Amino acid sequence: MSEQVHNRLAMVRAERKVSRQALADAVGAHYQTIGYIERGQYNPSLDLALRMAEFFELPVEALFSLRPFRPLTDEVYGRKQ
Amino acid sequence: MTTGTTPTPRRARTRYDERMYAIMNRREASAMYATTGRRRAAVAVHVLLTGVILAAEFTGFATATPWIVLTVPVLVLPWCLATGVLNAALRGLLDLRTHVLDERQLAERDRVRAKANRLTTYVLGCGVAGGIVVGELGGLTVGGAVLPVLISAFVVHWLMPLWVAGMTAQDEPADETDE
Repeated sequence: MSEQVHNRLAMVRAERKVSRQALADAVGAHYQTIGYIERGQYNPSLDLALRMAEFFELPVEALFSLRPFRPLTDEVYGRKQ
Repeated sequence: MTTGTTPTPRRARTRYDERMYAIMNRREASAMYATTGRRRAAVAVHVLLTGVILAAEFTGFATATPWIVLTVPVLVLPWCLATGVLNAALRGLLDLRTHVLDERQLAERDRVRAKANRLTTYVLGCGVAGGIVVGELGGLTVGGAVLPVLISAFVVHWLMPLWVAGMTAQDEPADETDE
């Protein structure tokens, strides 16, 4: 089983112009915890992952994955790996 | 079709919790603990001051020298400052109540306490072994040392989580979306 959960949190947060503090307040976490998750130093619980997905109105798999995410440009423009 | 279970709601924060949370998360003095080196220096100063305070207290009472005992309140002031720096660096990890901390902080607090417990065991084990060796080789009686040893053991047990957490806390990267 993979111990590393990959995430796109930093990218989505920057895209939506949401600060760590604002996201932390919205999901009931400490702002440092958001940084730890973004750096892959802490894997959030399912509860917290779902709350973040709900905040961004995205499916949870758009934010978290057991496998590394493909670059977004590849996904948008369909380049094959 | 199942309707699922209703999760247990978290205990609401009291005004005391809110005030303590705000105090522990103030960032005015963040420069004092912004890097690993500074946090470790704060821990080193805290350990040193704790040792000096205990030594002054024990020496003052053992030798009946009042002026040594009177230095303790003076030393306690910088000790309080160092404690404040460490608590601010840890965002109240060890002082805030459980329902104020989030899941990562609770996991971190458990990790720190477990590590501190192990370290305290080693320190006390070494102290006991040293005491036995000194007692056997030097023919010293330990009767008069019982209270200082007990007090020192209590202080080490009390402060070790703070020292461990201060030594292992990580830097905080800048948030580009912060203004």
